[in-house]
Amino acid sequence: MTSTPQGNRFGFKDLGIGIGLRTVHYPHILSTWPKIDWFEVLSENYMDTGGRPAYVLDQVAERYPVALHGVSMSIGSTDPLNREHLLKLKALADRTKAHWVSDHLCWTGVLGRNTHDLLPMPYTEEALTHTIKRAKQVSEILERPLVLENPSSYVEFKGSSMPEWVFLARLAEEADCGLLLDVNNVYVSSFNHRFDPTEYIHAIPADRVVQYHLAGHTNKGTHIIDTHSDHAIDEVWKLYALSCKRTGLVATLYEWDDDIPAFDVVLAEARKAEAFRKAVA
Amino acid sequence: MRLASLQRWMQAVVVHPGTTEQALRSRGAAAHLKPGRLESVLLPSKTLSAAQRVAIYQEMYPLRMRDALASDYPGLEHFLGNRFWDFVTAYTNAHPSKGYTLNRLGDHVPAFLGRQKTLKPRAFLKDLARLELAITESFDSPEAGVLQAADLEAIQPDRLGQTRLVTVPSLRLIDLEWNAADYLDTVRDENHAHPKPRRSPSFMAVVRRHYSVYRFPVSEAAFLVLSDLKENATIATVVKRAMSRRGARRAAPEDFADWFRRWTAEGLFSGVRDKRKRP
Repeated sequence: MTSTPQGNRFGFKDLGIGIGLRTVHYPHILSTWPKIDWFEVLSENYMDTGGRPAYVLDQVAERYPVALHGVSMSIGSTDPLNREHLLKLKALADRTKAHWVSDHLCWTGVLGRNTHDLLPMPYTEEALTHTIKRAKQVSEILERPLVLENPSSYVEFKGSSMPEWVFLARLAEEADCGLLLDVNNVYVSSFNHRFDPTEYIHAIPADRVVQYHLAGHTNKGTHIIDTHSDHAIDEVWKLYALSCKRTGLVATLYEWDDDIPAFDVVLAEARKAEAFRKAVA
Repeated sequence: MRLASLQRWMQAVVVHPGTTEQALRSRGAAAHLKPGRLESVLLPSKTLSAAQRVAIYQEMYPLRMRDALASDYPGLEHFLGNRFWDFVTAYTNAHPSKGYTLNRLGDHVPAFLGRQKTLKPRAFLKDLARLELAITESFDSPEAGVLQAADLEAIQPDRLGQTRLVTVPSLRLIDLEWNAADYLDTVRDENHAHPKPRRSPSFMAVVRRHYSVYRFPVSEAAFLVLSDLKENATIATVVKRAMSRRGARRAAPEDFADWFRRWTAEGLFSGVRDKRKRP
């Protein structure tokens, strides 16, 4: 169900509707080869293994389009870029013929340490200049445009001089990056920081959006945690619909990473996107 | 605050094992921001103070570390029970993740346990961790083809002594002083009476076959022969060494054919290499 390439400036295809490749679903995938448009692969889980994960990935990549999605690039960190990581990432992308490679607008650690969390950036000119420079370097090493995802966050820095959506748009334009727009993250951060999520959506350069993320979250009352452990709420679907009107058909992926249900449950949730996609087809 | 300083401060808070108040007052954090100046860097929300907001990250950090270590060390987690939390805190303080993947977080666990004086019985825990690390390493090791019995039989008798049997990359050999393997067998069976730690020397081979990891006990003599093969010794050298050992470590001439046949069937070898043909 792959559609005609859409209007993103990179010429990346609309891969249709996909879900993340997760270990608990391996037996189902290998035994049924389910009807699904594409899979997103967590890069770091497949870089250093020659075992079953690598075997499953190769089987999947032979049969489905895949895109790589990472969590450890640490593009905003003030530590040096990890070239070993980037070269392995490039090799994995080449091996799997990945349509694109994405990571997050965040930092994961400094002083050689990795917290393995997607820690938020202050939205300052200094941070922007720093991240633009590194994003360009990464694109050169990967020999393909870097795609960056907007984060969900739980703190706001007093020193920020611009809203996240301005930072992200300027970063994408100046470093010539693609964007992975996570509409659940937009919603989570808008709740936590009390901004209008539609303003965020309208500020994103539509022709740079090459992929969407959708997911569920956990509302703690005082704040929302981006847990990827549930169905997406209606407000998130509305933001997705709003953004689709701006971007046209763009590859869409449903993330479910905690309390992962059966493959068909995740796929059914992902396929809710069909209705919104038809509206802009 | 400059970006580098901000990140060092925030990391010091996030990875601190104490309360958020303690984290903010810790030396690593206070070097970049005086504890009373939190709101000069972080904004409160309408529902949470600045400290409560950064605490969200601080609370999630040990959960991630625990999940990663529990995934690789289910036996250790089972044995330690509630003490596993303290172990995770102490271990990740001593050996924080420095890699891009959490898959390697637990690499230092056996050595770390060997240094602990409060976790007992220390030697049992270290053996259990060594076995679990071997299983993880075997799981992730590179894939290789497997030597078939016909390949072994095709070696010309006059060349056999100079031949090396190449072991598969997933092969790990573990000598255990304690009954860690027996304990690990029972971890997933909640109705089973888990054996109490006791000294019980054993020798294990761990290998991956068809993308699943298996382990099986071997005799001490077989263990030493496998160790020599893994270190790339020729068959002549392996046999000579094995037959010159004493007691339970010594192999009998009639052992070899049976061992090599069985180990080939178990998928322990990926090929043969003739000494003359080495570059």
